[in-house]
Amino acid sequence: MMQMHPSSMNMSATDWMDAAHSTGTSIMAAEFDGGVVIGADSRTTTGAYIANRVTDKLTKVTDNIYCCRSGSAADTQAIADIVSYHLNFHSMELGTQPLVETGAAVFREMCYNYRDSLMAGILVAGWDSRKGGQVYSIPIGGMCVRQAVSIGGSGSSYVYGYVDANFKEGMKKEECVDFVTNTLSLAMARDGSSGGVVRLGIITKDGVERRVKLGTELPKFYEG
Amino acid sequence: MSILSYNGGAMVAMKGDQCVAIATDKRFGIQAQTISLDFKKVFDMGPHLFVGLPGLATDTQTVMEKLRFRKNLYELKENRKMSPKVFSSMVSNMLYEKRFGPFFVEPIIAGLEPKTFEPYVCNMDLIGCPNEPEDFVVGGTASAQLYGMCEALWVPKLKPDELFETISQALINAFDRDAISGWGATVYIIEKDKVTVRELKTRMD
Amino acid sequence: MSSALCPEIPTPGFSFENCKRNATLAAKGFPTPKATKTGTTIVGIIYKDGVILGADTRATEDTTVSDKNCQKIHYLAPNMYCCGAGTAADTEMTTQMISSQLELHRLYTGRVVPVCTANQMLKQYLFRYQGHIGAALVLGGVDSSGPHLFSIYPHGSTDKLPYTTMGSGSLAAMAVFESRWVPNMDEEAGKKLVRDAIAAGIFNDLGSGSNVDLCVIRKDKVDYLRTYDEANKKGIRQASYKYPKGTTAIFPNKTQEYKIEVTEETVTPYTMDTSS
Repeated sequence: MMQMHPSSMNMSATDWMDAAHSTGTSIMAAEFDGGVVIGADSRTTTGAYIANRVTDKLTKVTDNIYCCRSGSAADTQAIADIVSYHLNFHSMELGTQPLVETGAAVFREMCYNYRDSLMAGILVAGWDSRKGGQVYSIPIGGMCVRQAVSIGGSGSSYVYGYVDANFKEGMKKEECVDFVTNTLSLAMARDGSSGGVVRLGIITKDGVERRVKLGTELPKFYEG
Repeated sequence: MSILSYNGGAMVAMKGDQCVAIATDKRFGIQAQTISLDFKKVFDMGPHLFVGLPGLATDTQTVMEKLRFRKNLYELKENRKMSPKVFSSMVSNMLYEKRFGPFFVEPIIAGLEPKTFEPYVCNMDLIGCPNEPEDFVVGGTASAQLYGMCEALWVPKLKPDELFETISQALINAFDRDAISGWGATVYIIEKDKVTVRELKTRMD
Repeated sequence: MSSALCPEIPTPGFSFENCKRNATLAAKGFPTPKATKTGTTIVGIIYKDGVILGADTRATEDTTVSDKNCQKIHYLAPNMYCCGAGTAADTEMTTQMISSQLELHRLYTGRVVPVCTANQMLKQYLFRYQGHIGAALVLGGVDSSGPHLFSIYPHGSTDKLPYTTMGSGSLAAMAVFESRWVPNMDEEAGKKLVRDAIAAGIFNDLGSGSNVDLCVIRKDKVDYLRTYDEANKKGIRQASYKYPKGTTAIFPNKTQEYKIEVTEETVTPYTMDTSS
């Protein structure tokens, strides 16, 4: 899902000007009983240099909708800003919180219409009273699909098997938080473009709870 | 090869004590072939204001005409002379307008500020990034040699006649090591009450 | 309409009229020359009472040092400054333009403009040009919600951080920050840390050099410390290279002298009648 710009393929430390700023990433979102858990690593790279080791890739769109960003940092930040503007305007007209489905549709519209110039893989997650916790995946071409669990970014390819083996529908909150933390820890251990801390967000009917798992607090797996 | 060295040319401006100088070679060539020995690339834009436009000769003339037009329009509208600092920002803004399709000139501006008669020198890259040092500026295909000469020869508070010798020797010895600059040189010494233009005897090879 | 005698007054914004010609020249083997790049070390930190920005003062054209003492900390607003790395003209012009927009915004709203506004304006401008405007910036300032520090990349992505470095010397400078930055530093320790980070860039990165400039932004006061530290002192000249008068051969009959009449005009201001 996650690709680097051709210019940043050259992994030298001096190409800071030409290399696009990429969130070579591990991101994830999973539905549980009563809401969704979103998670991401915190590494931003320019070529081989870590430009930011404490990035927050879980970006607020509205009070009840967040997105997880992967791909070009500039592109995804710009999209998130624009979608956030549209949805906040929409909720003012509506007088209520927008549906997660609507949020995903606005993201999809942007990602599809500008698919030739954008490099963005986005997970949209949130809670609304109609359908509860929801996860929508919008990969690079601008397709949109609802999934109970979704992973993205360069680190995701290492953990598809783990997700398929361990995800269960209707988990309890803390069970789901542990599942997301484990998955991201595994992805970060294998993927060089992912790392740092694990940032989490738990979105339910009561709002959003943010958590951080420091690098020293992450679960350890086989490291031989 | 760089298009900035298609026609050749060397140029330098220096600050002195209550005076400023700008010097240039006179060659116009097409790569190695010399065409003319009295090509003008330093222009007076006012009694105390000179601009040199080393680079691609066609752009030297185009840019000069554009600058003269904009400067005249300013002076007619404002009913006052343009100061060197204002002129520099005008050049800078005009070149940056063409950020994505630049003119191939790297301008040098020399003059005296109105009222105070403080010396002023400035140079720019081809997209108008200004550089205003307190000693000297150089430009053209012999700029590397000129940097060396000027770093060695320039001292603060040079009187007009001392400034003339310094800038002339800096220019001559620099462009003697450049195959596409030289063939005569002109030096302008700008003082409060007069401008002196001298033609130098140089090697003609 | 323009004619041969009366050229058209140029329209605002970028002009692309030379692009076709320059592309033709490039195809014939004359590529567009490189503009001045500031191979740079620029940094910023948040400390107890505000933000400290730092920069070296070298500008380069390829391997030639084109300016030994240039200013890389640009003014944006009374409470905001911005360090620039990358294409020198782009950092200069971008900050000038945003500075003008911020001043108009301040007059329109009648408030101190928040730092995040400047950040948003810069990132949207750079994103619009898709990285073709090569400005890498460190934006620092203090507003009603406290000190803020942003790094802004040419493609339009931004990071909000407590300490940051940019430019070719960013790795050397970041090594200093990663080992010594702590939250709530006092001003003297902060200035020393920023000086050392820039010095690391000056001495370990070839694209950075000359002096250290600092800018300390607090809630109510800004100190722009131009040449805070002269990291490289020039030696004293041992001999004089002064040429005696008459060394240079000239054509005496071609010498021209123009007299300039210096006229002094005094304008006395008078108060405008605003009664009617």
